[in-house]
Amino acid sequence: MTTLAAPESETQSKSFITRGVQKLVLSNGLTVLTKELHDKPVVATMIWYRVGSRNEELGQTGKSHFLEHMLFKGTDRYQKGDIDLITHVNGGVNNAMTWLDFTAYYFVFAPDRWQVALEIESNRMRNTTFAEEEFIPEKHVVEEELRIGLDGPWEALENEVWATAFRQHPYHWPTVGWLEDLEAASDADMKAYYDKWYHPRNATLIIVGDFNTTETLSRVEELFGPIPPGPAAAPLAIVEPPQHGEKRVIVKKPTPVERLLIGFHAPAVAHQDSYPLKIAEALLSAGKSSRLYRRLVERDQSVTKADASYHDHIDSSLFYFQAELKPGFKLADVEAAIYDEIEMVRRGLVSPAELEKAERQIEAALVLASEEPLQQAMLLGQYEAIAFDERVPADLRGYHYLDTLLERIAAVTVEDVANVARKYFTEDNRSVGYLINDDAGVEGERELGA
Amino acid sequence: MNLEHSESHATHPKLDVQRTELPNGLVVLLSEDHATPSVSVNAIVSAGSRFESDEKAGLASLTGELLDGGTTTRSSEEIAEMIEAVGGQLNTFGDYQLSGIALALLSKDLDLGLDVASDVLMNPTFPEHKVREAVGRRVAQTKARLDIPRTQASDVFNEIVFAGTPQHRPPIGYESTVATLTRSDVYDFYRRSFSPDNTILALVGDIDKDVVKHKLEATFGRWGRAPRRDAPPAPRPQRQTFPIDRFVVAPKEQANIIVGHVGIERNNPDFYALLVMDTILGSSPGFTSRIPRVLRDEQGLAYTTFSNITSSAGLDPGRFIAYIGTAPENVNRAIGGLKTEIARIVEEGVTDEELDVAKSYLTGSFVFRFQKNAQVAEFLIECEIYDLGFDFAERYSELIRAVTVEDVMRVTRKYIDPRNLTTVVVGPFDEQKEEGVS
Repeated sequence: MTTLAAPESETQSKSFITRGVQKLVLSNGLTVLTKELHDKPVVATMIWYRVGSRNEELGQTGKSHFLEHMLFKGTDRYQKGDIDLITHVNGGVNNAMTWLDFTAYYFVFAPDRWQVALEIESNRMRNTTFAEEEFIPEKHVVEEELRIGLDGPWEALENEVWATAFRQHPYHWPTVGWLEDLEAASDADMKAYYDKWYHPRNATLIIVGDFNTTETLSRVEELFGPIPPGPAAAPLAIVEPPQHGEKRVIVKKPTPVERLLIGFHAPAVAHQDSYPLKIAEALLSAGKSSRLYRRLVERDQSVTKADASYHDHIDSSLFYFQAELKPGFKLADVEAAIYDEIEMVRRGLVSPAELEKAERQIEAALVLASEEPLQQAMLLGQYEAIAFDERVPADLRGYHYLDTLLERIAAVTVEDVANVARKYFTEDNRSVGYLINDDAGVEGERELGA
Repeated sequence: MNLEHSESHATHPKLDVQRTELPNGLVVLLSEDHATPSVSVNAIVSAGSRFESDEKAGLASLTGELLDGGTTTRSSEEIAEMIEAVGGQLNTFGDYQLSGIALALLSKDLDLGLDVASDVLMNPTFPEHKVREAVGRRVAQTKARLDIPRTQASDVFNEIVFAGTPQHRPPIGYESTVATLTRSDVYDFYRRSFSPDNTILALVGDIDKDVVKHKLEATFGRWGRAPRRDAPPAPRPQRQTFPIDRFVVAPKEQANIIVGHVGIERNNPDFYALLVMDTILGSSPGFTSRIPRVLRDEQGLAYTTFSNITSSAGLDPGRFIAYIGTAPENVNRAIGGLKTEIARIVEEGVTDEELDVAKSYLTGSFVFRFQKNAQVAEFLIECEIYDLGFDFAERYSELIRAVTVEDVMRVTRKYIDPRNLTTVVVGPFDEQKEEGVS
């Protein structure tokens, strides 16, 4: 039995998101974050594992996501369906998500019964059984999930552009994996992968809501404390080399609406250039006053929508632009118009008011998202999972990333935005995908209104 | 496993609600919650595609989108600039039965928000160039619906089940009708449908009720009533008396299947018994309810499968549907599986244990509807529209607890008809497979 260290207190944080967060690391390496919020009668419990499609290998893609499904399919204590049934009977909700860098599970319950979440998570961290009779039907379920993606025009285009932009790094493949790899997966593969990654040392437990921290921490210690720490994860050695020259890819699919996706390699979480890029994302794409909306939707009227997106990841990822074209407009023209807008930013043609607006939008989006306890747990967990290695400045690691995020955003100047635009939004650094209509055409329209 | 479940300790939310009516007839609902420095402003008008003709399909939705397209004193650019400069998020919309605006912003910017929100609702001008721009975009969006097979299946299903009623149309309209909509159509629809006396304004979050009330008088309070115009009641959809099967060929990886028929109105007194039935048959989160448990968890036929009658219940009857997305080779098994579960619950009813579990879930999870300001605002508006009373949050648990096994049996038999279902399949099957189905 480990002893409880005094939690580090965070009540002085300037950020309303991290204010009141307490962090404790059990002796087996499990990180525990708690934040009491007594104004809403709910408790959100999350557990984050630092494993995602980033940790997979060619030929075995999609394992992280498949594993997430298997964690609902039975342990030594819970049979298939029990976890959902317990959640249901207690009037709660649960779900899970897998992405490039992490896998996360959550429960939300009323305050008088939420601790079942701790019982379930502490049990299924090491005791999932992978019974073959559960594995086969679940594989079909995941195949169907993958097919939904194959029918989605955006997913089809995203998959090709990321696979084109990343030659070596595992961001090459989608989180759900390639269908052929999934079909070949065995229960033994899954068990080995689980044994490699699901341990206290690779996990963060987060509890946000209407509970008592002291009582909760001793229950956490009781349930999770006896679990062995598990192997230390070796750092991922794969680095995507710089791209030298534009890459282009065409995807054909029967569709009435053509689409465009342009991805520029962009830096990892907490890189100093990531903050001006967040500003660039907002001023290009947040709302009807954004540059892409004004130019493409209102002025050119060439698209139904156009967005820029940039997410924090452990490794360098993509800052990408998406546009859905109106019939009769040309992909090349919309692509050129996006480059025009990027060029303005590269030249620093951004007013102080526009910069200020982007900062306010980022701030307000954070406040609005945190009305819900689960969303606060999501934010804390995300940065615990991704902002961890030595590339991240020590004072910004884990959820501390959020302590001063808004200050780092506020410090960005127009010149910073122009500099990162010149550095990353270059022809040689981009991968461009066109989704064009397959000549087979779209059937079925004739049936509408019948 | 020990399935202890305490009879819910009635964790119903304590909502502090104040309802007032301005002299112009606008209903105002105020609720304070200071947990986060943010406010949700929702102004909801009884206007929607329910009140438009087939020839003008898409008009209400277009009108709703264009509310922020410019006012008598501000351009669309100025409106977007004002709201977004403070990080606010403004959405204007027109749906089947309701239209209006939803605005979220920081509480320190509430004055600005009320100013812009009231302007957008009271003084929109629908400039010609914004109408043309939106029509062009919407024509493309009507085409893009064919890219999402689940949407396509849903559209086809509605055309059959709601034939002869406004609900058969997608609210966005059809390519052929949207293309003909003009500024005068939009302006005329606005003039006929938007008035303070058919609007509900909900303000929820970090507000001071007394301060806000004064501000409302100076903004929304100046909105003049439109002359009374009673829209003709929408024709009621008829329950089908024979099965209907429709197959639509689409080059996709998955077949999307919807089985069902006409549903119920929200004010139907059997709503709560049907909510319990929904939870048992196909609407629990996770995979506890029968349809996902059997078709997903046991047979591995789908990632998404569910059934529901209450979620679409509104002023008009909604629809009872069972949905599944599955591989083309599993279409027959999937349809068979859905129909078997529908027939089984009608014939056999539900067990005491299933009833208890469903009731526990419904009463225990109710509190999750009150986590965000916008959710609370939507709840208050729902209470007002359906005349549920603001003590509904406290009464909800009793309404659910009162449902018996016999009630579920009775309402299932009354509202679900396994012999007369519409089955729609959108997928990549060939003629041979089509013959094999049903």
